[in-house]
Amino acid sequence: MEVYTGVVFPLVLVVSGALALAGAVTLAWPRAHKALRIAVSATYAAVAVHLITVVILLISGVPAGLVLTLGYLLASVALLPLLGIGRLGTPEAAAADPDPHRPVLAPDQIARVDAASAVIIAIALAVLLWRVLVIMEAAA
Amino acid sequence: MNYVARIALIVAYAVLGLAATGRSTVQIATRFSEAPLPYSVSAVSAVLYAVIALALWRNWATVALVGTALELVGVLVVGTLGYVESSWWPDETVWTGYGSAYGWVPLALPIVALVLLVKERRARSARPVEESRP
Repeated sequence: MEVYTGVVFPLVLVVSGALALAGAVTLAWPRAHKALRIAVSATYAAVAVHLITVVILLISGVPAGLVLTLGYLLASVALLPLLGIGRLGTPEAAAADPDPHRPVLAPDQIARVDAASAVIIAIALAVLLWRVLVIMEAAA
Repeated sequence: MNYVARIALIVAYAVLGLAATGRSTVQIATRFSEAPLPYSVSAVSAVLYAVIALALWRNWATVALVGTALELVGVLVVGTLGYVESSWWPDETVWTGYGSAYGWVPLALPIVALVLLVKERRARSARPVEESRP
């Protein structure tokens, strides 16, 4: 439990903060898109580490409510595909879609779409992870 | 509406839809009889958020406009009734306190979406007139 509260939770919180920051910077300056992509990859890794840690804690006997804890964990994973949603606006993605109204985004628009979604997801992710922490702390 | 704003709205509605769906599923599955009205409102809001996200994604402008208008009315009515008739609400919904538990995003989001959608509608209806001018 100490590893979770002292290392894993602060790590995912810092990664969420970095994601929000990278998103805000990319919104203002689309050339920072590369840094945002790194932050997105780090977020995937951090959420995976968080998920594995909490599942190990649950298996090892922390008496947290399974429905709520697993619900919040699943929600944190379900948010991840929304990161980098700008990929759906690339010319290749639009060409593969039979819908003629499918938008094709310019590179700076893709960067801004990714940035806006990163800010939203970072906030939602931080809230979800904090809820899991509250549940785990109450149960321990 | 520009694509960046539209997709940002889709993401915001998808996140809120996910939150409201999770909340209402747990509430209805575990303790519906304790507070049927608030939990039903949570379920309605979840459906509304999903429909609006889909309408924005598929560019169904009228559905999105009606959905966001309904959402704003819902937030204002439920938020106000929460203070006026607090006995009706034994538990909270997504819209309780005008969405205060969600950082007032449920109140701000439909206002932003409505402004953008109405602007787009006006621009669309003005276009044929401008095009017909010599």
